[in-house]
Amino acid sequence: MHDFNYLRPKSLADAVAAFKNAGDGRYLAGGQTMIPVMKQRLASPSDVIDLSQVPELKGIAVNGGIVAIGAMTSHAEVAASKDVQAAIPALADLASGIGDPHVRNRGTIGGSIANNDPAADYPAAVVGLNATVVTDRRRIAAADFFTGMFGTALEEGELVTRVEFPTPEAAAYEKFLHPASRFALVGVFVARTKSGVRAAVTGAGPCVFRETVLEQALTRTFAANAVKNIDIDASNLNSDIHGSAEYRAHLVGVLAARAVAKAR
Amino acid sequence: MLKPHIGDSVLRHEDARFLTGRGTYVDDITLPNQAFAAVLRSPHAHARINGIDASAALAISGVLLVVTGEDWLKQGFGPIPTKSAVNKKRDGSPLNEPPRHCLAIGKARHVGEAVALVVAESHAAALNALDAIDVDYEALPAVTDARKALEPGALLVWDDIPGNFCLDFELGDKAATEASLKASDHVVELDVVNNRVTAVPIEPRGAIASYDAKTDCYTLYNATQNVHANRDTFAEKVLHVPKEKIHHIAPDVGGGFGVKNGVYPEPALLMYASRKLGRPVKWINTRSESFVSDSHGRNQMSKVRLGINKDGKFQALYTETIGDLGAFCWTVGPFTPTGGSARTQGGPYAFKAMYYCSKAAFTNTMPMDPYRGAGRPEASFQIERIVECAARKLGFDPVELRRKNLIPPTSLPLKTAMGLDVDCGDFPQVFERTLALSDRAGYAKRVEESRRKGWLRGFAIAPYMECTGGGPKEFAGVRFQKDGSVELAVGSQSTGMGHETSMPQILAARLGIDFESIKYRQGDTEATPLGGGHGGSRNLELGGNAVHQAASEVIEKGRKLAAHQFDTDEAKVQFEDGHFFVPGTNQTMTMREAIEASFDPSKLPEGMAPGGLDANTTYERGVISIPNGCHAAEVEVGPETGVVRMVGYWVVDDFGTIINPLLCDGQVMGGTAQGIGQALLEVAHYDPESGQMVTGSLTDYALPRADTMPPMTIEYYEGAPTKKNPLGVKGAGEAGCCGAPPAVVNAVLDALKDYGVTHIDMPLTPEKVWRAIRAAR
Repeated sequence: MHDFNYLRPKSLADAVAAFKNAGDGRYLAGGQTMIPVMKQRLASPSDVIDLSQVPELKGIAVNGGIVAIGAMTSHAEVAASKDVQAAIPALADLASGIGDPHVRNRGTIGGSIANNDPAADYPAAVVGLNATVVTDRRRIAAADFFTGMFGTALEEGELVTRVEFPTPEAAAYEKFLHPASRFALVGVFVARTKSGVRAAVTGAGPCVFRETVLEQALTRTFAANAVKNIDIDASNLNSDIHGSAEYRAHLVGVLAARAVAKAR
Repeated sequence: MLKPHIGDSVLRHEDARFLTGRGTYVDDITLPNQAFAAVLRSPHAHARINGIDASAALAISGVLLVVTGEDWLKQGFGPIPTKSAVNKKRDGSPLNEPPRHCLAIGKARHVGEAVALVVAESHAAALNALDAIDVDYEALPAVTDARKALEPGALLVWDDIPGNFCLDFELGDKAATEASLKASDHVVELDVVNNRVTAVPIEPRGAIASYDAKTDCYTLYNATQNVHANRDTFAEKVLHVPKEKIHHIAPDVGGGFGVKNGVYPEPALLMYASRKLGRPVKWINTRSESFVSDSHGRNQMSKVRLGINKDGKFQALYTETIGDLGAFCWTVGPFTPTGGSARTQGGPYAFKAMYYCSKAAFTNTMPMDPYRGAGRPEASFQIERIVECAARKLGFDPVELRRKNLIPPTSLPLKTAMGLDVDCGDFPQVFERTLALSDRAGYAKRVEESRRKGWLRGFAIAPYMECTGGGPKEFAGVRFQKDGSVELAVGSQSTGMGHETSMPQILAARLGIDFESIKYRQGDTEATPLGGGHGGSRNLELGGNAVHQAASEVIEKGRKLAAHQFDTDEAKVQFEDGHFFVPGTNQTMTMREAIEASFDPSKLPEGMAPGGLDANTTYERGVISIPNGCHAAEVEVGPETGVVRMVGYWVVDDFGTIINPLLCDGQVMGGTAQGIGQALLEVAHYDPESGQMVTGSLTDYALPRADTMPPMTIEYYEGAPTKKNPLGVKGAGEAGCCGAPPAVVNAVLDALKDYGVTHIDMPLTPEKVWRAIRAAR
């Protein structure tokens, strides 16, 4: 790890200002990706801006069919939240399965979606539930937020403050664990909402995506059998020693069926 | 006060220290004024090194030293030699051994090979220096598959070693085996791959070297399994100093599994750097570096042929193996695919004839050295796979076929066609007990329960027979103190197995003294004059028997002392349960009293000096012992995804006398976990084009975890303690790796039998299993 300045602002305004003043600033949320990357010297920011003391980034609120989760909320907090469990059980369930207890106690929703790891779980919920990402300067629709592998619509210095999830009629998330990392080799989030059925896939491709073949089938019949042996196009999917594109495509159908079966 | 017996599950003495973070591993040691080293490693599988410019690195503040291969050669240091017990080709000529210098000379031959060492005031400065060294690499094409390396025209890892050929090997009667195969009713043939794996001990390798100019001596703290032998190599072969000049200490070591057996370049580089700089130098390998600089294991490709008659009786076994050595012979690398894999061919089954032959090749990959079992797991997997294959092809019940061919106890002792001296055991009884534990009667119901949940259930049983290995001598020293404490020093070494418990347990049980009064020393060239370290499941067999022998010597001396006290003839004094006594009299003396008396000159017999009960002894093994046993596994396979989960596991082991069942269970579970890892998860995978190690981190190298493990039932058969050593022990450490891979793989194939799937190469990843199911559909 290279030397850096460590800053711990006490407000959103101070955090954003600290970033502006830094030569090569990086926000630090839970640090579950950033710290290992810094330790491997693959990132060497001049200033690390720790967001743990910024009050505007905290808290879970359920209001008028919207579950708003502060960016610095840990996975463990989301998993344990009675409010989230009642409003969107699928979201609490997803959070309870991220990484291991250490990761869940440190890692945050804001950090996860800002990093946009192709195998992360939260992006599937954000896209699957058509959430809105709220930043220090604007509101970004899920469809516009994730732009590619490790890519987001966030501008330089823009800070996610919370994510607003509309409550679905029914939803569920299923993932197949990568045998080594235990990230999602493939993860599928399905949701039946007032505006239609959504199915978001993570792990399988370079970036989370909506699988229209699944959505069309599930719009016709929201039942496991509708997608169990469905043909998923493998051409844009990832291929590595842990899963070929063909295998991942197959898993998308299997996991979608399982998710639909347990959706509530 | 704890007076344990042989066979008690004494709790691990070292655990309080380990579990509360109070262990002392190399990285916990800080010497005054120490500098920090880091190793520049080749990013290429194969590259010519046209030059190394370290000027920018040396200009960095705090950087003290850069050592390149050229600098190293100028010092006149020697290459690290191989010590493979098999060191000749079949034609009698020596094996082809390329020079293994501590730094790459002229060419780098595998990703991770050490190219330069930097030393700096801080770890950070050392890392900055690594970034600043400019190496002029000319990348060359690489060969990463031993089979391809042996093909005519293959590119050469070493210009002067034709055909990448290290050595070939054979054992057994080829003509008789061929004749027997020919005469057999059926010959079943199978290609078996033992996948390349690496041990991933929780503590990476690391060392601190400290040179003292006043005494011209080195102190080397090193995460090693083998302080004596490796010191000798560093001293005599590499640095050319008398071995007495190196004090080699292995403090607490966090796992070895063979990976820390060998001689690595870094400690030698550190000793040189410490001498040059006049200060201690510390280096700790990172996890990422460990994957490409810790030795790998297995990686054998075999063709196995089994001759079998219509009645199911095995006739002959013929195995041809190609073993990958990586880019060098490493420490004992050539032994594993040759003698190491040959000895236990055929497992616990009776054969009329056996023949084993192999070739070992160099590739542009991390070299091989022993990994838990080193050849015996490979052999066990080969025989159990071909037996399962024969049962399926010829329509035999796999359990029945095995039962029919196990060597009966009435045939023991015998010498196998591989020359293995099998003295005792009861393979059929162990086999039947394993079957009984696994509740075969309830199996059909469990299959049905699995089926209702959408899972396929499979079962397999895998009897195994292996052998011990490692250095044939061991030292034990018992030194009594006036205050009643006892120092026990043994030259074998724990890397986590619990020797601090089992060795004092043997001494306490034999002498009838307090376990807590014994202070244990190990892993230190000044604690014992010789030592064989750890390897080949050797500790109880050698270290344990050395302690036993030392205890006997203490008792003999105690009898002399007691006879003097009792004013009687020494021959009349007996020792039992911690007491010297003369039968038929009330004369008695405890061992504790004898120890106290031994420090009182007025109580000593003639010729005995104060403290005269001390014993320093060397135990020498006659013949290696034969651990054996049986594993049975039940698995569930998810046909939709190909995922395998372990749902039942039963083990019965014959390790002879069990000293401490708790520690023994730990060995069985750990070995089984690593066996399950090899069967289902682990592979050290190289990209065939680039020669890069694809699974070079824990996010890609899949280790078994707690939730991978099935519930396990473990029992021991103690009806056949070996007479090859006084304790009657057979070695326990590597057996799990012999039993588990075939039990697991055959159980998965059993689950898939209705699909007609007969073979999948390890590791049985979900995708491979899914593809096999899909291909069969």
